[in-house]
Amino acid sequence: MFSYIRKALSAAVALGATIAFALSAALPAQAATAYVPISGAGSSWSANAVEQWRTNVQQYGMRVNFASTGSSDGRNQFRNGTVDYAVSEIPYGLKDGSVVDSPPANRPFAYMPIVAGGTAMMYNLTSGGKQITNLRLSGEVITKIFTGVITKWDDAAIKADNPSISLPSRKIVPVVRSDGSGSTAQFTAWMAAKYGSLWGAYCNAAGRGSGCGLTSNFPVVAGKGFVAQPNSTGVAGYVQQRANDGTITYVEYSYALNAGFPVAKVLNKAGYYVEPTAQNVAVGLLGAKINADLTSNLTGVYDNADPRAYPMSSYSYMIVPKTNANNFTNDKGKTLGAFANYFLCEGQQQAPALGYSPLPINLVKSGFDQIKKIPGASSVTLDLKKCNNPTFSADGSNTLAKNAPQPADCDKKGSTQCASGTGGSAGAGSNGGTSAGGTTTGGTDATGGAGASGNSISGPMSCNADTGQCVAVTADAVKISAEPSWTVGNTIMAAAVLLLIMIVLLPPVLSRVLKRK
Amino acid sequence: MTIDTPRKLTGVRDRVDLIYRGVTRSGGIIVLVIMLAIGVFLGLRASQAISADGFEFFWQQAWEPDAGKFGIAAVLIGTILIAIVAVSLALPMALGTSLYISEYAPLRLKKTLIGLVDLMAAIPSVVYGLWGFFALQGSIVPIAKWISQNFGWIPIFAVDGYDPNDPLSTTTVFTSSTFVAGIVVALMITPIMTSIMREVFSQSPIGEREGALGLGATRWGMIRSVVLPFGVGGIIGGTMLGLGRALGETIAVYMIISPVFVIQPHILQNGASSISSLIALKYGEASAFGMSALMAAGLTLFVVTLIVNFGASAIVARSRSGASS
Repeated sequence: MFSYIRKALSAAVALGATIAFALSAALPAQAATAYVPISGAGSSWSANAVEQWRTNVQQYGMRVNFASTGSSDGRNQFRNGTVDYAVSEIPYGLKDGSVVDSPPANRPFAYMPIVAGGTAMMYNLTSGGKQITNLRLSGEVITKIFTGVITKWDDAAIKADNPSISLPSRKIVPVVRSDGSGSTAQFTAWMAAKYGSLWGAYCNAAGRGSGCGLTSNFPVVAGKGFVAQPNSTGVAGYVQQRANDGTITYVEYSYALNAGFPVAKVLNKAGYYVEPTAQNVAVGLLGAKINADLTSNLTGVYDNADPRAYPMSSYSYMIVPKTNANNFTNDKGKTLGAFANYFLCEGQQQAPALGYSPLPINLVKSGFDQIKKIPGASSVTLDLKKCNNPTFSADGSNTLAKNAPQPADCDKKGSTQCASGTGGSAGAGSNGGTSAGGTTTGGTDATGGAGASGNSISGPMSCNADTGQCVAVTADAVKISAEPSWTVGNTIMAAAVLLLIMIVLLPPVLSRVLKRK
Repeated sequence: MTIDTPRKLTGVRDRVDLIYRGVTRSGGIIVLVIMLAIGVFLGLRASQAISADGFEFFWQQAWEPDAGKFGIAAVLIGTILIAIVAVSLALPMALGTSLYISEYAPLRLKKTLIGLVDLMAAIPSVVYGLWGFFALQGSIVPIAKWISQNFGWIPIFAVDGYDPNDPLSTTTVFTSSTFVAGIVVALMITPIMTSIMREVFSQSPIGEREGALGLGATRWGMIRSVVLPFGVGGIIGGTMLGLGRALGETIAVYMIISPVFVIQPHILQNGASSISSLIALKYGEASAFGMSALMAAGLTLFVVTLIVNFGASAIVARSRSGASS
């Protein structure tokens, strides 16, 4: 018995060695440029892009590690010298409550923009058993939701934003970040700038002292029904659980795309409700003022008057070291420089597909200037033609923003509303939609208790006897596609289950059998 | 008459003996020194926060160290609540499993079952956390709802903000709760409790077992009259060790709960807290003073866990089954 096993084992090892040798012989290029592994931590807002890029550069032999632990943690780790680079949405030196997030004292650094994106309002809401995918919200309503002023989905203010949706009388459950996060910082900065009194009052109620302004830690008032979860995956994962109907969170657009969930269209200065697509973010960020150290002032983005602009657009930054302090070496700099070279140029192509927006040409150029400050980074010249960045043009203007489509008429603030789905549920039809402007709804004063006074939605109505709320009963045909009985996927799944069972059961059984022999 | 004085015994120790004694003794001392060093380290790092906070540290519920308002009242009680939920679910599970394995399972199944229980202990806690967050949470809501509707008159099972007569009432109030976190932690502490109890049960004297069976006891009667009284120390000790682990469980709790910094006695309601998850959540972004405050929280957890574990070993040592081992 034993000798048989040993023989089989040695045969397997020999086979493996042969294959490995053949593979190594087939890929001689890999050994040509050796890269030292580097590691970083930070933002989960931009983590989906960074993850994709670091996977892509593995083919060049680069080992880039990234821990998506939140911007605050990333900045702290960079300051303490435990990581080679950090990713953060906000720079050092901002005042959070009474504490100034001081820059690292003896580790000179530079900011390098890595990608743009929109902080999206991802939500999970059903009405009559059907998911709502075309919700629209104005900035003030969003602020009121996240400060606990508006607590029901059928609030008059939300109805005013959504004339064609029959909203359920469900409690709104805002889902916020429990860890220190750049998403929270971006979101609270926007609320503090635009709706300072609402946000200030909430902050005071949470015990943060006089109107906290921008903060990385969302203050939660106990008993308001807010849910706090760590990391972007945490909040998005919480919202996407089917039972958690009525939840809404702020998270980067890519998380909604990955989850297959809709995002709310947000009202901009021009009176249009827009989605944080790559184009709308690019248009919105034309209003950003770039400072000398490449950080940005976003006040102009919030009030960008272009009808296509998404107001909560922002950049994400990599914080890179300028000296070899804290165990940084020239070899690490070489890897970091090559990685930056990849994502600033080629990597930007993938940004729209991932749910981000590519950087414009001026930031890419400045980013390349920052690469030169990294010790050991080989100076590479930027070949704009090779980048295939969709924002680039011959005259330096942002092509992506220039060619962004104007919003549809049904997205204008008014009595009509587009029916098409948003975010991860784009393409899915939604309920109550009036894209053609055909069936219009009458008055929107349905808050009265007099039953179906103002609504003239055709079709049967169901009225709640207690509240007088009437909801159109939708009976849409549900299309069930004929599924093939047994696919390759099923086979693989069955094999995986079998393998798992074997992993669990084989060791004890085998040990018994072997012992008996 | 002279009183006999005992003869003085002298022995010449072998070199091997001496070396062996030295190695084991230094091993034991090193363990004690490390424990002491951890305590001293935590105490030193925590002193800044504790001296700034004073006695308020013990009854303040909020956790805003940079605003000078922080204390462990809420998180400590949250930790204990999660641990109590976990232990009260894990105890029957572990007791049943260990009794089945040691008394009822056929011989050929026994080893497989022991292996499976040990395997359960080998699953990383982050996997339990992911499972609890994505798979368990959604399916446990109806159970939490049922408990709160039928036993809501008991204060700890009450849930605010849920109206059973309103079909649109949100069920999110039942998620991210002490209860959900407790279930996951229960699964994580069951293996260690099971293996300790099984070990003790299997040591119950064969003579007494045979005596009970010979007097006409059924198998259950034998278990009740011999195995359980013999193993009571193991049951208590195993439970206390499980409690010690439950108090310190971090990542799974961190992923599931929605942290609140008020005393939250409603175990089925959204919002919970624990010291270890607080540390995991805040240490990455803490200021120097905030870190000191976290160290103070860690010191509290260290002391509580030490007390629980010492209590467990004292009980195990005093019991009949523990004295022999």
